[in-house]
Amino acid sequence: MLAMQAAAPPAKVAASVRRIFGGEATTSLSVVGSDTVLRVARNDSLLGFAVVRSVKGKDQPITFLVAIDSADRLRDIDILVYREPYGGEVAYESWRRQFRGKSATDTLEVGRQIRSISGATISVNAVTMGVRRALADLTAWHRDGMIR
Amino acid sequence: MGRPTPLLVLATALLAAVTQIGASQESTTVGGYGELHYTNTSGPNTPASVNFRRFVLYLSHSFDDRLTFRSELEVEDAKIEGGEAGGEVALEQAFLDYRLTDRLTLRTGLVLPPTGIINETHEPPTFNGVERPAFDHDVIPTTWRELGIGIWGTLPLAEGLSYRLYLVNGLKASGFSGEEGIRGGRQSGREATFANPSFTGRLEWARPGLRVGGSFWYGGSSAGDTLLASGTFVVPVTMLSADARYDRAGFAARGVLGTISVSDADTINALYGAAVGSRIAGGYIEAGYNLLYRLAPRSKQMLTAFARYEHFDTHAEVPAGTPRNPEFARRITTLGLTYKPTWNTAFKGDYEVRRTAAGGGLGDVETLRFGVGYQF
Repeated sequence: MLAMQAAAPPAKVAASVRRIFGGEATTSLSVVGSDTVLRVARNDSLLGFAVVRSVKGKDQPITFLVAIDSADRLRDIDILVYREPYGGEVAYESWRRQFRGKSATDTLEVGRQIRSISGATISVNAVTMGVRRALADLTAWHRDGMIR
Repeated sequence: MGRPTPLLVLATALLAAVTQIGASQESTTVGGYGELHYTNTSGPNTPASVNFRRFVLYLSHSFDDRLTFRSELEVEDAKIEGGEAGGEVALEQAFLDYRLTDRLTLRTGLVLPPTGIINETHEPPTFNGVERPAFDHDVIPTTWRELGIGIWGTLPLAEGLSYRLYLVNGLKASGFSGEEGIRGGRQSGREATFANPSFTGRLEWARPGLRVGGSFWYGGSSAGDTLLASGTFVVPVTMLSADARYDRAGFAARGVLGTISVSDADTINALYGAAVGSRIAGGYIEAGYNLLYRLAPRSKQMLTAFARYEHFDTHAEVPAGTPRNPEFARRITTLGLTYKPTWNTAFKGDYEVRRTAAGGGLGDVETLRFGVGYQF
C-alpha cells in the first residue's frame, strides 16, 4: 500500500471540486512538497482545501481526492480513477460518506469507524490509509500556515 | 450546477500537469499467497500430516493506464517429482485486462468462472477454516479456471451493481464422478478442447458490510467425444448459485447455495462407467464473531470464533440405472478460531465433524486442523 503517482483527468478533478464545494467555487493552487493543494474559495471567503493523491491497491494506483473545510474537518472524498478488477465499491457514496466530518484527531480504522466491504479488503485498507494521511497533512499544513 | 469558472479550469489543468508525471510508466507488481496445514483425522491408520498446501506467486504488469496482465502461478503440496503422485505446478489464472471505460473492461486468458465466493476470492486470510469449505471442492470445483474471453464492470442501474460475463471452453464429461461431481471435468487451460464453448457470469450488488451475488454456468461437456453426442451444446451442464456476505460490528456471516444439473448423466455413466448424479446441490452457511471487537476495542487484530454448517449431495438426483449413494449426501459442521494479527495473515484452528446419509460409514470422520495463511 504505497503512495503512487498517477494521473486524474482534469475534468474529473474539476467535477469533484464542484460536487463537493458547489458550482460557484473558485480554486487556486499552491505547491507543498510533492503535493499540489487546491485552495477553494467563494467570493473571497475560504471554503476549504483539496488534494489529489494515489495509493496502491492490489496492483494499480487508486487516484482519489480529499477535501477539508476551513475548520479542517473532512468535507468529502472522491475516487477519481479506479483501475483494479475487484473493490471498486470504495467509490460508492455509501462507503465514502463515513469519512465526512472526521478530523485529523479522529481514529480511522477499518472494521471500526470505517466499515469494510467484503471482497474489497485491499482497496478499503489502501484508501482509508491514504485518506488518513491526506487529512493529517492538509490539517498540519493549514495549522502551520503553509496553506492559508 | 454552475458552469466551471475559467480559474477552476486553469487550476485543474495545471494540477493535471503536475500529477501527470509518471502516469503512463509501465510497472510490475509481485505478490502472493500461501497456506500450510496440519491435519489429523479420526480413525485407525490416519496419522496426522503436515503439508505446504499452496504456494502461489502473483505477478502483474501494467503496460499503460488501461492494459494490465495479471497472473497466479501455484505450487501445490510443495514439491512435484517425476513418476510420483501428488504435487502440482499450475497456472491458477493468467489474463489480460483492457479497461475501455470505468464501467467496461475486456478480459481474455485463463479466467476464473465467477461462481460462489471462494473461486474468485480464495486467499487464505479471506476465509475462516484451514481448508476451504468442502462445498467449494465437491460442488463448486475451486480453483476453477478455464480459457476464454469476456467483459466485466459496473452497471449504471444502481450504485453497487457489477457484472462479469465470459465465454470459455467447456467441461469434459469423461472426468465427472459421483463423489466429486463436475470437478474432474475442468480443463484448467491445458490443451483444452473448445468443442463446447460455455458461458459463465455473475451479477453482484455490494455496499459497506453486504455483498450478494448470483452466478451461472451453461455449456456442453461432450468434449468432442462423438460416442457421447455430437453438437456444440450437447451433454449440457447448468450451474446456478447464489451467495451473500454480511458483516457488522465484529459479526460476520456468509452463505452459498448452488445447484448443478447434468442433463445426460445416464449417457455419461453408460459410456464411461461412472456414477455421476444428474443433479448436484447444496450449500453452506457460516457465522463468526471477532472476540477482540469488544475485548480490545483499540486493536487492529482479529480473533474470530466461527461455526460453519455445510449440507450438500453430489447425488441429489441420479439418472435411471445409477444407484443413489448415500455416502455422497454430506453434512459437515466446522467449529474454529481464526487469529489475524494483520488483515492479510491468519493463524487458524478448527474441528470438523463429517457425517453422511449412509450413517456410520467410512465417510463419518472428525478432523482436527491447524493452519497458517498469508497474502501480500
